[in-house]
Amino acid sequence: MSETIRRDPRREWIARNRLHPEHARVIAALGGNGGGAVAISEWLGPNGVVRRNPRAIGFIGPNGIKRIDRSGLQQGGQPTATTTAARDSRRTVVIDQPAFLVAVVPDMTGGRLSSHDKDLLGLARRVADADVERPGAVVAILFGEYKGEGGGELKEQALGEAGIDRVVHFDDEFYAGFAPEARLAALSAVEREMTPRCWLLPDSPLGGADLGRRLAVRLGERAATGVWQIEADNKAPMGWRCTARGGGGSLDIQRPLPRVALALAECAEPVDETRHAAEQLTLSASIPATLSRIEDLGQVAVDPAGVALAEAEFILSGGNGVKQWDAFHHAAKVLGATEGASRVAVDDGFMARDRQVGATGTWVTARVYMAVGISGAIQHLQGIQRCDKVVAINLDPGCDMVKRADLAVIGDAGNILAALVARIEQYREQQQEKRNAA
Amino acid sequence: MPHNANPLSKMELSVAVLVSVGRHPLTARARRADHDARAVEMALSLGNANVQLIHAGDNGAPSEEALRSYLGMGLGEISLIKQSLGADVLPALAAWLRDAAPHLVLTGTRAETGEGSGLVPYMLAEILGWPVISGLAQVESIEGGIATVLQALPRGKRRRLRIRLPAIATVDSSAPVARQNAFGPARRGEFATRTCASAIDELQAQWSEQPARKRPKRLKIVKSASARDRFKAAAAKADSGGGQLLSDVTPEQGAEAIFTLLKGEDVLG
Amino acid sequence: MLETLLPILIFTALALAVIGAVRRIRLWRQGRPSRVNLLKGLVALPRRYLVDLHHVVGRDKMISNTHVATAGGFVAAAMLMILVHGLGIANPLLGGLLLLASASMFVGSLFVARRRINPPARLSKGPWMRLPKSLMAFSLGVFLITLPTVGLLPEGLLEGSGGWLLALVLAGVVAWGLGEMFFGMTWGGPMKHAFAGALHLAFHRRAERFSTKKGGTGRSTGLKALNLEDETAPLGVEKPADFTWNQLLGFDACVQCGRCEAVCPAFAAGQPLNPKKLIQDMVVGMAGGSDAAYAGSPYPGKPVGEHAGSPHGPIVALEGKTLVDAETLWSCTTCRACVEECPMMIEHVDAIVDMRRHLTLERGKTPNKGAEVLDNLIATDNPGGFDPGSRLNWAADLNLPLMADLKQVDVLLWLGDGAFDMRNQRTLRALVKVLRAAEVDFAVLGNEERDSGDVARRLGDEATFQSLAKRNIATLAKYRFLQIVTCDPHSFHVLSNEYGDFLQEGQGGPDFNANYKVRHHSTFIAELYDAGRLTFAPWKGGSVTYHDPCYLGRYNGEYEAPRRVLKALGIEVKEMERSGFRSRCCGGGGGAPITDIPGERRIPDMRMNDVKESGAELVAVGCPQCTAMLEGVVDASAKVRDIAELVADALVECPVGNASGESRRPAATTTAEEVIV
Repeated sequence: MSETIRRDPRREWIARNRLHPEHARVIAALGGNGGGAVAISEWLGPNGVVRRNPRAIGFIGPNGIKRIDRSGLQQGGQPTATTTAARDSRRTVVIDQPAFLVAVVPDMTGGRLSSHDKDLLGLARRVADADVERPGAVVAILFGEYKGEGGGELKEQALGEAGIDRVVHFDDEFYAGFAPEARLAALSAVEREMTPRCWLLPDSPLGGADLGRRLAVRLGERAATGVWQIEADNKAPMGWRCTARGGGGSLDIQRPLPRVALALAECAEPVDETRHAAEQLTLSASIPATLSRIEDLGQVAVDPAGVALAEAEFILSGGNGVKQWDAFHHAAKVLGATEGASRVAVDDGFMARDRQVGATGTWVTARVYMAVGISGAIQHLQGIQRCDKVVAINLDPGCDMVKRADLAVIGDAGNILAALVARIEQYREQQQEKRNAA
Repeated sequence: MPHNANPLSKMELSVAVLVSVGRHPLTARARRADHDARAVEMALSLGNANVQLIHAGDNGAPSEEALRSYLGMGLGEISLIKQSLGADVLPALAAWLRDAAPHLVLTGTRAETGEGSGLVPYMLAEILGWPVISGLAQVESIEGGIATVLQALPRGKRRRLRIRLPAIATVDSSAPVARQNAFGPARRGEFATRTCASAIDELQAQWSEQPARKRPKRLKIVKSASARDRFKAAAAKADSGGGQLLSDVTPEQGAEAIFTLLKGEDVLG
Repeated sequence: MLETLLPILIFTALALAVIGAVRRIRLWRQGRPSRVNLLKGLVALPRRYLVDLHHVVGRDKMISNTHVATAGGFVAAAMLMILVHGLGIANPLLGGLLLLASASMFVGSLFVARRRINPPARLSKGPWMRLPKSLMAFSLGVFLITLPTVGLLPEGLLEGSGGWLLALVLAGVVAWGLGEMFFGMTWGGPMKHAFAGALHLAFHRRAERFSTKKGGTGRSTGLKALNLEDETAPLGVEKPADFTWNQLLGFDACVQCGRCEAVCPAFAAGQPLNPKKLIQDMVVGMAGGSDAAYAGSPYPGKPVGEHAGSPHGPIVALEGKTLVDAETLWSCTTCRACVEECPMMIEHVDAIVDMRRHLTLERGKTPNKGAEVLDNLIATDNPGGFDPGSRLNWAADLNLPLMADLKQVDVLLWLGDGAFDMRNQRTLRALVKVLRAAEVDFAVLGNEERDSGDVARRLGDEATFQSLAKRNIATLAKYRFLQIVTCDPHSFHVLSNEYGDFLQEGQGGPDFNANYKVRHHSTFIAELYDAGRLTFAPWKGGSVTYHDPCYLGRYNGEYEAPRRVLKALGIEVKEMERSGFRSRCCGGGGGAPITDIPGERRIPDMRMNDVKESGAELVAVGCPQCTAMLEGVVDASAKVRDIAELVADALVECPVGNASGESRRPAATTTAEEVIV
């Protein structure tokens, strides 16, 4: 933004004259970046003095009465005002004549961009936008169905806001599921037709990690894997150096960025200030059919209770205070949680030995650990040291588990679990209805 | 391909496991690599398969000790292809596999030392023209030259795949834990050493390596138009030590609070 | 008539006994060689029998006296009978002595018979039920046939047709007695214990455990090392023939009295272990056959008659069942209660660890968390798999002096793996506070310390134990200190009793204890108190009992010092019914919490019940394992505190001038035995 304030006498005059037909538009242009219909209450006057329009302050409340909120948090009225403003603050960038292409193959877990994908696109933007004079374009190659963001936004908008200039979408049925050979053939076709300067894929197990290695080997490139940092380097062939994790996470390998790179999550900040075109491209040549030697027979149902404790993300753990074990098992099923147990529950034969959590059992690393009726012996607390959030349900407000917990509910475990099960079933139903409606 | 009802009885399944020297994450001591050991375990649990272990690399005393711990899982011999330090083991391994022509090649997802890129199985598959899959969790059956396997997905989910043999499969920590390494068999086991010309990995020689730095934790950046919001976010207390304690609440209120937390943590799939 | 019949009978029985003995000896010699000084052993036999064995038997006065009468009578009667009736030396003096001996034996056998009326569950039945009758037959028969010899009966009584019949009956009775006593002794009857037992005492694998005239420790509890250098030596015991010959001989000495069974914590908890049955199974394996003839309590949950084995067949089956199931071996807590109680001095724990060694070193079948713990010990030198560089993290604020800085101190404080456990860190803090209060010149090894190897060794991983031991020894050899103090009895035991085998030239001399002593913290605190370096506030808490850790008490004979410390604190210990050398294990030893074999009850629950019965509100312990196990008991009636914690809480500032003041005399030294009884 330029530092000198350039005066436009005509606009100033219109701004002063409330009766001028263009008054509202000019005021809006002065106050914010294209606020449009919203009346602007403050703008910078011609002499650098802040000007105020007292009539524009406040909003019309639900009863038609004007309300002024002086706490600074303007609420009601136009609830979308702030989000609109945030969205509108994005700069639209269109790259018509890219100097080169950066190909990104996002995972699209569940049919939408994952946070890992967005980080990766941020990385791709850094590579593409390195030279302001000759920007490159980020082309995303998508496989399978696109399901849209949370609120069901437009596909182009979501992709564009993630920093994608061009989209090649393969949504044929045979790309769905685990189809590495077909996907590799499609990527090879993209390579032949567009020859991107570099390929970026997320190094995520069973997603980009698998496909990216296949691609690298097919292209004859020595891929960089586990990339978590890149920095400009004029001496490197691509103009970038990268830092990659190696040696089982014990080494940082510094090397010039190769044509194919597999990057870790949080390798770059996701794009949030610009909006890109996300223009659809199609390949001119058809993709030759490949003979598949790997056939996907679909997912197999697995009991969440059987998931190894050490791997589990969400553990419902029962102890001495659990009286109705059937209800406990039912709750675990409804919550989709892996079952754990205190030593006492295992000793008493209510749970198998491999379910025991604690220093003498399994050390767990769950994101949420829910301890039901576990008082929290020191050995047990040691075993849950690395859990992010601990929820305790217990009768005794003074027990050690309650002290450790991020959220503790004092009361009868059976009743609370039953209420929680009811609440979650209700939530699931709502979700289902929402999905049906959509 | 002739469809045979029970080929295992007629034709012995031969499985080759590529093993490497691992490194303990805390003490950096040489050990059997966890994923590779799980691959050996998977091979041994295939019943009457003929299991061969192959290692290519240089062979100092600590790495010999580590390789012996694969032998300690109950195997008599390990094929050792001697390579000089810093060599690219790919040509040697490919030549070995072409000679031995196993039905199935198992290996860990990535090595615990060196580059550890996990590219080797894919490169071997490309050289040999065999299919490769990752995240093998279980071999369900092998019939008529086709293996039916389960592939591990996150959160304990599984996917059933059918793959044509010969094939390469990689194993990660979702596969069953490797059996114990017993001292006796480890001490008795033998190395079938063969030498093979070492191809120096020139590309890697140009890279610089250093101990892994701790990655900076991403801060929650509050991008808000209002200075007030940004100030509030910056001045907000970090998660206070003491948790929230709800006593004298109805079960429903307690459940609601828990539900909110679970939803916030995004664990309700 | 009898004059001709008796010598034939006696010498036939003797000849058969000799043949049986040769046969039995050949069974033992299936075992591996073991160097024993045979002559010295035989010379020491009377003392070992009369002093050491009777020390154990004498704990039950009734049985002790019964055995003296019966066994003494039998030995005398057998000798004299060979002279009088076998060789025909009809000397009235010898005859009189023979009458006396057989009468004494008869009286003894009456008591034996009385015990067999409603025998306790621990006693084996079967052939043992007929033993009192056989004893009576022998003693009565010998008594009656000797009466004419001394002329107490008219000569003509045994003549004539009635006399013939009587003579035949008498000869039959004597034949029965001789059959049981001579033939049965070497062919496998109940009397086998006398023959095998005597030789077992003479050729015992641990000659050190017997007292000598000069005194001697009378204690030998460290496990024997495996020779790992020799690649042909078997790693542990796979088949009965892999035991050494004198171990096999020891198994044959078992009298099936079931004292081991009565004290075994695993048996009481319903885990599938019964030390008596285990020894009998080894006897079955040595001779080959099935356990169907066994007439005692089975392994809990495992019916008798399903297992069989042979001298050269595996003891633990790879699949199915052979002689013993693996979980039987893994149930043992190595508490040595069975060894302590065994009147025949059999070494159960050695045998169990020998068999575990095979399972771990050859088969890689350490159950449950065993494999993980051993892997951790190999990779991180501690069983929990913690970063070895974080061993001292708990003491970040204590500023502990390091050996590496000081090189030379009075006391090396050995922390043990409890340094990684939050509960034990409290004990360690307390101990450091006590040492500082007494102004002890001490230091710790810090991150240079490794696990002592106790758990690895009890889990059968001798290779990992030796690796840890050798590295620890090398570390210790770098520094100068007078003694090692530790609050972990397991480290204490291993350091003082088991490291000696691995010392090399210049690492503490031929005897590990030559350069420095290893002390349990209770012993050390007791010494500090006696020296007047600690002053305590009077005890205000409730009643207290004391739990003897196995590795402190039975393994090292330290029963007294902890009690002295408690007394100094002003605590009067309310002894539990099972305390001292009869203390019941907490269930934490021998890797038992790691192998975790299910039973019907938990051992620590039973122990806390013992505490409850004593009425104490607090149980003082001296071992991190015991603390963890006993504190793990739900709804316990008593709190669990380490002695160091009690001492630290009671510390008061020394009055000035008293710090170096006259040492307190030990407050009425009580001997261990007194305390126990």
